[in-house]
Amino acid sequence: MKKKMLACLLSAVTVVVALTGCGSQSKELNLYTWDGMFPQEILDGFEKETGYKINYSNFDYDEDMLAKLEETQGADYDVVIADDYILESVIAEGLATKLDTSKISTYGNINPLYQGQFYDEKDEYTIPYGAGIPLIVYDPSKVDFEITGYEDLWDERLEDSVALIGNYRVIEGIVLKTMGESFNTEDLDVISKAGEKMLALAPNIRVISDANTQDYLLNGEVSVAFMYTSQVVTALMENPDLKVVYPKEGLGFGIMAAFIPSKAPHADAAYAFLEYINQPENAAKCFEHICFFCTNKAAEDYISEDMKEAIVVPASISDGEIIQNISQEAEDLHAKNWDNFKVACE
Amino acid sequence: MKKNSLLSTIYLWIVTIILYIPIILTVIYSFNDNKSPVYWTGFSMRWYEELAHDRSMKEALINSLILAFSSCGLSILIATSAALAMRKRESKWDKIITYLSTLPIMIPEIILGMVFLGVFSFMNLPFGMLTLIIAHTTFCIPYIFSMVKARLQGIGTQLEEAAYDLGARPFRVFWDVTLPSILPAILSGAILAFAMSFDDVVISIFVTGASTNTLAIKIYTKLKTGVTPEINALATVLLVVTIAVILLSEITKKKEE
Amino acid sequence: MKIKRKHSFSALLLPMYLFTILFVFLPIVYMIYISFMTRAEVWGFDTHVTLQNYMRILEPLYLDTFVRSLKLAFTTTVLVILIGYPFGYFMAKLSAKWKARMMMLMMIPFWTSSLVRLNGWVIVFQSNGVLDKILMGLGITTEPLKLLYSYPAVVFGMIYALCPFMILSVYSSVEKMDWSLLEAAVDLGANRRKAFFDITFKMTMPGLLSGVVLTFIPSMGLFFVADILGGSKVVLVGNIIQEQLTKGRNVPFAAALSVILMIMTSLIIALYRKIAGADANISGLG
Repeated sequence: MKKKMLACLLSAVTVVVALTGCGSQSKELNLYTWDGMFPQEILDGFEKETGYKINYSNFDYDEDMLAKLEETQGADYDVVIADDYILESVIAEGLATKLDTSKISTYGNINPLYQGQFYDEKDEYTIPYGAGIPLIVYDPSKVDFEITGYEDLWDERLEDSVALIGNYRVIEGIVLKTMGESFNTEDLDVISKAGEKMLALAPNIRVISDANTQDYLLNGEVSVAFMYTSQVVTALMENPDLKVVYPKEGLGFGIMAAFIPSKAPHADAAYAFLEYINQPENAAKCFEHICFFCTNKAAEDYISEDMKEAIVVPASISDGEIIQNISQEAEDLHAKNWDNFKVACE
Repeated sequence: MKKNSLLSTIYLWIVTIILYIPIILTVIYSFNDNKSPVYWTGFSMRWYEELAHDRSMKEALINSLILAFSSCGLSILIATSAALAMRKRESKWDKIITYLSTLPIMIPEIILGMVFLGVFSFMNLPFGMLTLIIAHTTFCIPYIFSMVKARLQGIGTQLEEAAYDLGARPFRVFWDVTLPSILPAILSGAILAFAMSFDDVVISIFVTGASTNTLAIKIYTKLKTGVTPEINALATVLLVVTIAVILLSEITKKKEE
Repeated sequence: MKIKRKHSFSALLLPMYLFTILFVFLPIVYMIYISFMTRAEVWGFDTHVTLQNYMRILEPLYLDTFVRSLKLAFTTTVLVILIGYPFGYFMAKLSAKWKARMMMLMMIPFWTSSLVRLNGWVIVFQSNGVLDKILMGLGITTEPLKLLYSYPAVVFGMIYALCPFMILSVYSSVEKMDWSLLEAAVDLGANRRKAFFDITFKMTMPGLLSGVVLTFIPSMGLFFVADILGGSKVVLVGNIIQEQLTKGRNVPFAAALSVILMIMTSLIIALYRKIAGADANISGLG
């Protein structure tokens, strides 16, 4: 009996190994981004309307995506959505296609506020898909003073009760802001000083996590959290009593954007997809789903009233500074500061 | 002497229960109406409905099964034949290869994933199921190899010698004498290797291609972005299937007896 | 006849040799090679030979991280022995029917995603989570215990993840043990404790040692336990490697860290071989 099973297993394996590797349909779209960037409805809708089958695969960090594109020379994926600073690297390495915007009839719907950014000044390669500002949110029933800026996170009264996102450039960026410096300073002395100042923040840190940071605030694990826009929006929907702070020292700002890799196997599908998600009704559904700022001007009218305030933002918001790539020495120093900081938190 | 006291029985049960606490909670929270595990807002089947409609999840499950079966099967072939060959006499090279083959479970997965990415692209292998199977086979082999080897050391060669002396052909001897005695070791190694393959995220995420998501990757990336109830529902379904398969095999075993 | 058999056997080695050389040896050589290179401007590495990556490991931050990881691995292993050894021992003394059932109970959790299980613990231990609700409901505590995101929480997670390996390997060695020896010792007047340490413990040593290896080595690299239960505040070698590969984009440095880690774990295995005898296997579960 067992022997028979083993024989079956082995022959099944041979068949499977033989089968894999061959057989790929041409009517496909290889979408590569974080998980949860599109509502199921949109993915299904696109498949139904165009007949393309979507293969939605995920990466965890922008850098994993870059590594994958480098190793495959941009030949495996059709549409990639990632963060601003990595797009600069992708474009510099020649891994993105110059867009033929005439193939995207809905291109005009994009909010120009989010275009012409440092990573793609002439808008040749990318189409924005969501933007955000990391903000401080706190529970006024647990914090007995008013938080107005990043500096307040150092307050002794917040001992062991702050949650932070785990992106070290962002966190060290706010330390730099409290010192009146730019996020993107390459002055090593300034960065070292920021590292020292950050160590003083350690006693207040309860948890550092990129995932579900809002949950720590909601379950009472912490009373203050510094987190991404989508998390801020989610937290406020669950608990409207929470207070949002636009820190007085200045805001950070980030944009996610889509591009087509240089050797995309199904470029036509990619254009069709970019066109589809930029149709106003579709875009509205997407932004309501991802809870980031809406980068599609025409979609604003379709966003439901209760979400409007959260994800349709006034133009002044883009005054915030974007984190950009800096020199390797500066980057290394940031990484080291961050590790020292985490160790100090323990 | 060969019996447990009440105290040790209680100990066994307490540890077993602790082992199951997170699993039980996962099952309970799969019925939570709220998206966030922070609140319990009532009983609901909505995550199961969502799971049923999630086509990508089904594809990922099928990929994971294909991957785990193939890499285990391949590992069984490679590891068992090598263990059989090394049984008689182990040369210096055999020892080196044995040591090398265990390295994949000693190096942090993340660096292994990155290195595989580099080496596979150097070899011009297309990223997808093929690269996944190769990568998983590297860390499945040590589990199966070590078990089969230990088993072979335990059973001795008298029975096989006898079979040869009676004029049996080598393949016959292997199929009728050797294989039945090492089968339990192969299976227990394979079960562990299967579980490891099914659960692997870190290596897979590097070596997978555009159209091959595995379930573990799906779970990991979903947990990162915060949609957990659907994952809980999925874990529950898989748990039920596992238990059902085990019970079924128990019943058929009983019937055979 | 004999000679013929030997010939057919050596062909059986071929797949293992080929596979290991192509997909294990080559990648590792590649890793060692990268560790001596300079990082490139955007991504990857340039072929300038340097020792810089290894020099950097000597910085206190990274040395401390190695020490911290070793300490955590050591603590975890000791606790896993204390919990897992008795379990494996008692399990082997169950009746055949219960042995099979217990084995099943041990294996089922392996089939549930380890991330899902860790997440299950977060549901239990989170502030105002299941445990807090029970304790506060019973009036034992008045406010949420803040149990997560601490060193003990990480140790707990490691024990939880690795204890089954110890249990299984101790179990398999106690299973194979010859109980008549123990009975003889007791009959000859040895007290139970002495009989246990002189006979049982010695005879199950191989199982215990392979359990130690199976616990100690992974606990150096399980970075996600430190992230999920430690709130990223417990920094282990695995976490640094991961960070350098992703946000830091420093593949050569990550490779150098991995090479050192690989050497360390190899030394531990060598030590284990020395203690357990030349024939010992990495996982003596069989």
